[in-house]
Amino acid sequence: MNIFWLLMMLCSMVVLLFVNPSAVLTEMIGAASGALTLSIELCAIYTVWLGIIELVDASGLSNLLAKLLRPMIKRVFKVEDENIQKLIALNISANMLGVGNASTPLGIKAIKAMDDGSGKASFSMIMLVVINATSIQLLPTTIIGLRTTAGSSSPADIILPTLIVTVITTLLGIFLVHFINALKRRKKYE
Amino acid sequence: MSNYILPIIFILLFIFCIFKKVNVYDTFIKGAKGAIKLVVDIFPFIAAIMIAVALLRVSGITTWLTRLCAPVFNFLGVPAELCELVFLRPFTGSGSYAILENILSTYGADSYISRCACVIMGCSETIFYVATIYFSQTKVKKLAYAIPVALLCSVVGTILACLLCKVI
Repeated sequence: MNIFWLLMMLCSMVVLLFVNPSAVLTEMIGAASGALTLSIELCAIYTVWLGIIELVDASGLSNLLAKLLRPMIKRVFKVEDENIQKLIALNISANMLGVGNASTPLGIKAIKAMDDGSGKASFSMIMLVVINATSIQLLPTTIIGLRTTAGSSSPADIILPTLIVTVITTLLGIFLVHFINALKRRKKYE
Repeated sequence: MSNYILPIIFILLFIFCIFKKVNVYDTFIKGAKGAIKLVVDIFPFIAAIMIAVALLRVSGITTWLTRLCAPVFNFLGVPAELCELVFLRPFTGSGSYAILENILSTYGADSYISRCACVIMGCSETIFYVATIYFSQTKVKKLAYAIPVALLCSVVGTILACLLCKVI
């Protein structure tokens, strides 16, 4: 991210030096004030959703979801350890509810528990990264919130397409990881 | 139809909480408390990316880049206006929310472009960030085929999202 940001800043400033040098500071401060406005909007969205999610958690609904997911996780991730299964289940269910910030600490714990010290990413680790990248979205909470603030007439109408796309890409991800893993194994035996 | 989804889920959740004897008020407060801290934490990230994007825009680099990518995007059925979002999404979560908000206010929340952007946001993830953070507590250096597979799935998701938004 460091190099990435540096590149963006440098390139645009060098161009602006020739085109419009006075715009640099005005634009930077303008953008920062835009960031402040967005943060306030996000704060309102998070207040509502973090409250609701706490309810989901306290009512035991998130544990129930995790329990439902466990048999599937056993098959997809090929892990036998129950603790790892539970961590993965909680990570995925947090992702499903569109709270990426809640899923991150769980993902870190799961990967740490799967680490065998070999320095290489194992099959189940790769699967977790891929599933996190494509994660099935039941409720894209923050996005719905942003659409509401932007004055959408039906902010929730993106739920269905998002769900369809994420189901397809998640299946594709699972298939690809299994497929590449099988190919690698065959190579080893030959 | 989808306008009913959220209220129904909320009602079911509250009824479920009554059954489980959860102190609804206190629990909600406890969760909501985290919001300000979270926003304070992510604000500098949002500001940094918005500053960079604003500079890219006034300098004309964005227009130039969009024009350059337009043929590829058009071929895949993705509106070229989403160029910025698609490229920044794998790197920054809060930053891509900033871009999404920009798209929503520029093109209107219910426009085709905005809906595509929302679905793309929902079906993709900050792959590079997640991979770095997840493995930060281990000694794993080689992620093998994790990143390429994740990126490929995101590209497929982006194309599918734009296709579906035309139909639904």
